Amino acid sequence: MREITLSQAVNEALAEEMRRDDTVFIIGEDVAEAGTPFKVLSGLVEEFGTDRVIDTPISEPGFMGMAVGAAMTGARPVVDLMFGDFIFLIMDQLCNQAAKTHYMSGGKLTVPLVLRTNLGATRRSAAQHSQSLHALVAHIPGLKVALPSSAYEAKGLMKTAIRDNNPVVIFEDKLMYQEKAGVPEEEFLIPFGQANVKREGSDITLIGTSSMVQVCEQAAELLAQDGLSAEVIDPRTIVPLDEDTLLASARKTSRVIVVDEGHQSFGVTSEIASRINEKAFYHLDAPVLRMGAMDVPVPFSPALEDLTVPTPEGVAEKARLLCAGEMIHAA
Amino acid sequence: MPLDVIMPALGMAQDTGVIVAWHKQPGEAVAMGDVLFEVETDKATMEVEAQGDGFLTGVAAAAGEEVPVGNVIARISESADADDAGPSGTAREVPAQGRDRDADDLPDGHQVIMPTLGMAQDTGLLVGWLVEPSAQVGADDPLFEVETDKSTMEVPAGAAGYLAACLAQPGEEVPTGQVIAILTPEAPAQTITRSAAEASGPAPAPEPAQKPAETPAPAAQTPPVPSKPTKAANTAALAADPSGRILASPKARRLALEQGLDLSRLVAAGVPQPYHVADLETLRAMPADTTTATASATSLHLTAEVRAEGLSDFTAWARETAGLTDPSALLAGLAAPCCGTPDPVVAVETFGQRRLFQTRADSLGAVTECADQEPALILRDLRMSRITGLRLGAEEAPVLSLTAAGHGLSLTLEGAPGQLTPTEALSLLSDFAGRVEQPLRHLL
Repeated sequence: MREITLSQAVNEALAEEMRRDDTVFIIGEDVAEAGTPFKVLSGLVEEFGTDRVIDTPISEPGFMGMAVGAAMTGARPVVDLMFGDFIFLIMDQLCNQAAKTHYMSGGKLTVPLVLRTNLGATRRSAAQHSQSLHALVAHIPGLKVALPSSAYEAKGLMKTAIRDNNPVVIFEDKLMYQEKAGVPEEEFLIPFGQANVKREGSDITLIGTSSMVQVCEQAAELLAQDGLSAEVIDPRTIVPLDEDTLLASARKTSRVIVVDEGHQSFGVTSEIASRINEKAFYHLDAPVLRMGAMDVPVPFSPALEDLTVPTPEGVAEKARLLCAGEMIHAA
Repeated sequence: MPLDVIMPALGMAQDTGVIVAWHKQPGEAVAMGDVLFEVETDKATMEVEAQGDGFLTGVAAAAGEEVPVGNVIARISESADADDAGPSGTAREVPAQGRDRDADDLPDGHQVIMPTLGMAQDTGLLVGWLVEPSAQVGADDPLFEVETDKSTMEVPAGAAGYLAACLAQPGEEVPTGQVIAILTPEAPAQTITRSAAEASGPAPAPEPAQKPAETPAPAAQTPPVPSKPTKAANTAALAADPSGRILASPKARRLALEQGLDLSRLVAAGVPQPYHVADLETLRAMPADTTTATASATSLHLTAEVRAEGLSDFTAWARETAGLTDPSALLAGLAAPCCGTPDPVVAVETFGQRRLFQTRADSLGAVTECADQEPALILRDLRMSRITGLRLGAEEAPVLSLTAAGHGLSLTLEGAPGQLTPTEALSLLSDFAGRVEQPLRHLL
């Protein structure tokens, strides 16, 4: 299979959907000639013109509000939010309008909108450009949340998102834009709510999202050297969440660590750990552990920043403790 | 000192640049500010200027070539025929001795680093120094100029002092974070000037914009543990719950219940809590005779406590008054009426020695020792030991154990469900407890 970067995969998904459906358009800052700061959209304005790849002034609430209106009235906007951190600026448009319109109109209106943005620290971008804020929107009923973990997922999930009649927020890992993965030439979609078992194992389950899927896979390699067999699962979307696959794995291995790059407290790791605890309690041989980003603003100092994010070594260390029955702080 | 000409980083997501054309020929004289070559970026084609005077030499990339950002593509040398071999793009040869000496000679003072000014900036191009070596600067005085992808910026000194060491040359690409100057509080006796390539780097540049995930730390190379970690390595056991509740994982508890395994046997065996599924293996591996008896269902286990004086006074009375000098025979006779069968054979065990007694319901004195009989009851007299509680599981007959409990006696009845019904067990133990506490009542 050919390999392309995550950036190219997103670009292809958008181009294919824009060719297929002329109601799809892109709106945001620096999306046209500049092709975004990460060059994800390069070439799209040349093919589709400035009517469908729309550069806006620097006003996130403005263009997000316009997109919600456009979606209600028949278009399929893909909103480009340059950094995930800017989601705070569009909370009303996203959470009060887009997420609730279908419900509050008694089903008469739909908001088929995609919000493309990013997450991920360790890019030396400091506290206001390094956050992973997907838990904030996953909390709001009416929004779907996709977290691609490679170029393959980035393309398949984007195409599904554009065809969905509900608002979908996609967080891409900004450190992964130049990473390549096998992506088929032929068209494919990845359905929402379908987790991917990246690696089968029997001693412990490592559930990782987005950037943390690679971390879990590398941790599994380290554990294999110790004779421990780790299963790695990528939920791919956290709303909807493929509980069945996660619970089946928890029942099989009876030990689980959930790894996500959002802050640990009140986050994605807490939610998934709770569900496993509630629904697989009598199959657990150890407490379900959460590993998220440290509960601090992301430091600008590279040395400090690296300490805030889970690493393969850190995950493997916790996994060894769980497997040895030594994780007893909670007992 | 030749200057390296590098492929500049002009955009946020730019890894390489395409050389559109050279404006100078190899060997041609160039002056600082002359256009050297054109680079095509994602936004536009840009002209790149010479950062010093000299001759263009060692051109390593031709027009049309795509070159990674930061690669050295030519040099500006002092003569037209220098450096024909072309630049290597890496640190040029410096005598090792000189380098070490230089590193040792660096003055103490405030270290000035190459700052990160852009989103995706790994290195900065030092355009030039704005003060002379040894000159005095204030903290806010511009010290040097750096070229970023967007503009050229002046960088303030950051601390007051004297420019004692310049560790990078104008035109050099320096990794962000690397020390490029040292400011000393006193005017230096002599100054150090050298290129960043020569500098051994007092503070090596951190790896910017790279996930720690992608560079496994040395910890990953620790020798692998040959087998799975086991409980034997567990040094952090929990203290037993004071309420007597056994600490076990939900799964271990469920499996023990489903398989009829008794977690309290692990407690008795001294296995540290909490218990996990792996500890059930230990439980299954415990002596087969007891395990088979308990495998189907939980065994009977009852305890009672009585005063000790009744039995000791009675033993003394029987010896002196009735001439019954064998305390084991006396115990067997005392227990016999509780068995529910007429004239039962009772085994009495003391410190591992077993004696069998044929009892007679009508007389304590008629108890006789016998051999090769199946006992209806085993009496285990552990009053003289330090054992205060036990749970040994079912044996071939119900077992009544006597242990000391403070100033009293503890009576423990254990048995398989097939040997005694719960009602029979309760009756046996309460009956025997009454006899042990008030033996004379038995005689009346």
